[in-house]
Amino acid sequence: MKYYLNQFGILIIVLFFLFTGCASQKGAAANPASVKLALNSNQPVQTGVLASASETQEQLSPEEEMLLTDDWADSDDEDNEAELYSIPDPFEKFNRASFYLNDKLYFWVLRPLSAGYRDVVPQKARIGVSNFFQNLKAPIRLVNNILQGKGRAAEAELTKFLYNSTVGILGFANPAKKHPKLNPDPEDLGQTFAVHGLGHGFYLYLPIIGPSSLRDITGATGDYFLNPASHIQPLEASLAAGGVRQINTFSFLIGDYESFKEAALDPYESMRDVYIQLRETKIKR
Amino acid sequence: MITNRWVMLILALSLLCAAPAVCTEKLSPIETLKKPIEKVTNILHDPAFKNSGKKNDQRNVIWKVAGEMFDFTEISRRTIGKKAWKTFTSEEKEQFIKVFSEFLGNTYISKIQGEYQNEQIIFLNELVRGNIALVRTKLKRASLEIPIDYRMKKIEGNWKIYDVLVENGVSIIKNYHIQFKSILRKESPQQLIERLEKKLVARKS
Repeated sequence: MKYYLNQFGILIIVLFFLFTGCASQKGAAANPASVKLALNSNQPVQTGVLASASETQEQLSPEEEMLLTDDWADSDDEDNEAELYSIPDPFEKFNRASFYLNDKLYFWVLRPLSAGYRDVVPQKARIGVSNFFQNLKAPIRLVNNILQGKGRAAEAELTKFLYNSTVGILGFANPAKKHPKLNPDPEDLGQTFAVHGLGHGFYLYLPIIGPSSLRDITGATGDYFLNPASHIQPLEASLAAGGVRQINTFSFLIGDYESFKEAALDPYESMRDVYIQLRETKIKR
Repeated sequence: MITNRWVMLILALSLLCAAPAVCTEKLSPIETLKKPIEKVTNILHDPAFKNSGKKNDQRNVIWKVAGEMFDFTEISRRTIGKKAWKTFTSEEKEQFIKVFSEFLGNTYISKIQGEYQNEQIIFLNELVRGNIALVRTKLKRASLEIPIDYRMKKIEGNWKIYDVLVENGVSIIKNYHIQFKSILRKESPQQLIERLEKKLVARKS
């Protein structure tokens, strides 16, 4: 396992440098133009929902097709259904223990901190911080789009990154948001593995990290190295950045976990299903 | 006299024909949702319910409007699963539909009552094929947008919601189905109904 991870890490780092190499070259030459292009070509289609890159448009209709076709409820075949919507959970005891732990961590630590932070920091600033961290994760999305062969989306990610980092002042603003073509679905390594045929393996619910699977946590480990925030030195500063990101994120979500719990009969099982369903929809896009 | 009768008959017939003509001018799926959602928005903004003591009244009024949009029989059947639904007695079915719709209404109305101030619903488009439709919307918050799609079915000429998809494909009904399925593996339908009732009572107190 460790060996594989190592190999993967190296592969990803190599790929990263390869791509950043191309990126800076290509970026310097082609990007101002491509930003302009994206802006211009976007105006007429903006009213439509399908206003996204033609590549995603092609993908969107099968997706809409999928959403519209309701295979699930019309099949009487329970076995088929079980196969479709469950994941092995061999470590349920451990997972449930972590779930309990994170639940307590949320109510005792994360929520009070986030609420305090929300009361002190104005909303605009919090949105800025959120944008900043989202922008930093551009390498993850870029590399994984390339690994999945999504050229257009990769280009869009790169354009968005350059646009937001400059016009958006280091990514604190998100001017690219207004241009649907510049907002492809975010990709990560877990999804890349899935696209290449790897299954979840089994479900994992980890302390602090939360819901994941063998495949997705492996992917997240790879993605971690692509995130510039992970490379901040010393380690304490990097962890602090992670903490700020987390608290900032939750400052917008206070109450959501509570409602989620309220709505469920078995929150653990509900969460597992939401996670699996969410990942499936992301992989399909 | 005969002509009179004929006139009457023709009049009656034309009235009969006219009635379906009015009925066939049915609302499209997206229009079916827009009106009640607008009404709910107005209720949420209504100063008459500003007082925190009025929250229960407000919830009841919202429930009256919002409940109309859903087909709870279909929702119940799907959450339980077709096969298992057949093992429910008709009395259990009725009980389940009642308690589960109340459970859903209670959960989600409390949520929108608490959060509505900073949220906005944007209707995107509708996809229709035969008697199945999907209405796509976006819930807009300060920092993020959550796609919410409504799955609808035409029942007796009216479009009704039978599933809600969050984030482009996370089905609320499927999620309940997974939970109920594992409960029903160990417990009877009656016990599941009791569980829901208990949770409802606990919330009200």
